Amino acid sequence: MAAAAAAAPTRAEVLSLFRSLLRTGRQFSDYNIREYTRRRAADAFRENRALGDAPAAAAFADGKKQLEVAKRQAVVYSLYAPKAKSIMEMKLQ
Amino acid sequence: MAAALRPAILRRIRLSPSPLAAAASAASHPHALARWLSRPMSSHDAHLTRDEVVDRLLEVLKSHPKVDPSKVSPEAHFEKDLGLDSLDTVEVVMAIEEEFKLEIPDQEADKIDSLPLAIEYVANHPMAG
Repeated sequence: MAAAAAAAPTRAEVLSLFRSLLRTGRQFSDYNIREYTRRRAADAFRENRALGDAPAAAAFADGKKQLEVAKRQAVVYSLYAPKAKSIMEMKLQ
Repeated sequence: MAAALRPAILRRIRLSPSPLAAAASAASHPHALARWLSRPMSSHDAHLTRDEVVDRLLEVLKSHPKVDPSKVSPEAHFEKDLGLDSLDTVEVVMAIEEEFKLEIPDQEADKIDSLPLAIEYVANHPMAG
């Protein structure tokens, strides 16, 4: 695990992690949390785009941890789903 | 005269909506029967025309915050023509998934980097709705 985390992630691995984070974020039933996870993932990946090998490996490992957190929280939050939709989700008539 | 016609008319009216008659009329129109059978079991339209796919894809692209709507065309390449980077492309493909209620596997999603490829993928996808 430690050895695997030390190697810099490939481009495909990074994009796959990004996609997994977006997919997981989409499962939140609360609009605000859904949008936050999407924004948070996009901002962090963009901020870290020019990292060298070692920091990229650390950031990638951190991203994977965040993905686990998001997966767990999506399940927890689904038990406390908001009863009403956010006004942002309403379609304009 | 009217009293004599009454039972005859009533018999007709009562007969026509019976299940037997409905089944018979459905059987005589195989397409109607197919439509009647497929409607309640399927939540999406079975048939999505290519034009509809193109229109909706253009709409998805135009509504993306980083895309200049005037540059969107059915031949546009995400990175070369629309100025998106690889992260934006991932987001756009996710938006396409949401629009057509699809789940595009990673391997396929990585290949979609232009509108022609996206149109091709969605138009050929049996579950696109």
